[in-house]
Amino acid sequence: MTMAAPALKLVEGVIGNVTVLEVHGRLDSTTAKEFSDRLIALVQAGQNGILVDLKNMAYISSAGFHVLLIADRVAAERRRKVALCGVIGEVRRLFEIGGFTERFVICRTQADGIAQLGQ
Amino acid sequence: MRHNARQRPVAGTTMPNEPVVPPPAESSIEMQVANDMSEIARVAALVESFAARHNLPNCVIVALNVSLDEILNNIISYAYEDAGHHDIAVRLELRHGAIEVVVEDDGKPFDPLAVSTPRPQSATTVGGVGLHFVRNLMDRLEYAHRDGVNRLRLVKKLTA
Repeated sequence: MTMAAPALKLVEGVIGNVTVLEVHGRLDSTTAKEFSDRLIALVQAGQNGILVDLKNMAYISSAGFHVLLIADRVAAERRRKVALCGVIGEVRRLFEIGGFTERFVICRTQADGIAQLGQ
Repeated sequence: MRHNARQRPVAGTTMPNEPVVPPPAESSIEMQVANDMSEIARVAALVESFAARHNLPNCVIVALNVSLDEILNNIISYAYEDAGHHDIAVRLELRHGAIEVVVEDDGKPFDPLAVSTPRPQSATTVGGVGLHFVRNLMDRLEYAHRDGVNRLRLVKKLTA
C-alpha cells in the first residue's frame, strides 16, 4: 500500500490586499481543527479580504462546512470579507447537496475572487 | 457472520508446471478502528486503497469518504457514555456492481434513518447536515440493532 498524500495542506499567500488560502487534500473531521485554527486566525488578524481557494480540495464533509460557516460569521462581525473560489466538480456537488451555494460568496476563479475582494 | 468473498492463495498448493493465474482482487476489506477522531484518517486511507484496487470513479470515492466521515464522527461523538476504548468495525465490499459499506459499533442504539434532517439552508449548526449528506450520496441505507450492536449498511451503486 502506498502512503497517502498529506490529509490537509494549507498554502497561504498575499496578492495585492487579498489573503489567499489554498486548501489541498480533504476537509473532514480529522482536519477541520487545523483548518479552523488557520482560517479564524487569518480572519481575526489584519484588514485584508480573505479568499479560500478550494480548487485542489478532494472533498469536504459537514465538519469542514462548519468551519466555513463560523469563519463567515466571525468575518461579518469584524466587517471583513471572506469569499470562496474553485468550487468545482464533486466539491460543488457537496455544496449543492448541503444547500451552501447561496450561503457563501463564491467566485469562479482565484483571479475573479481577488478582483472582487480587492476593490 | 456472513460469508465474504475474500480469497487468499494457499501456500504450497501451486504445482511447478501449473499456469500461474493471478489471484482475483479481494472484493472485501475490513478494519477495526478505535473511538478516536484521528482514526477516521485510517478509514479514508482504506477507502483510497480499495478504490485504487477496483478503479472506482472519483464521485464514488467522495461519496464513501464523506459518508464514512459523517457516520464515524457521529458514533465517536455521541454513541458512548463512558470514556473507555471501543472498537468500531468498518467493512467495504464490492458486489453486484455496487459498493456495500457496513459500520458496526457497540454504542447507544441510534437509528440514523429515524432522524429527520433539517433543511440545510436553515441550519445554524451542521449536525443534521451530516446525515443529509449520507442520504444524498448513498443509494441505500439500512439500520439494525441486535445483541447490543448498531449495524448500518450503506450501498453505493457504481452505475448511474
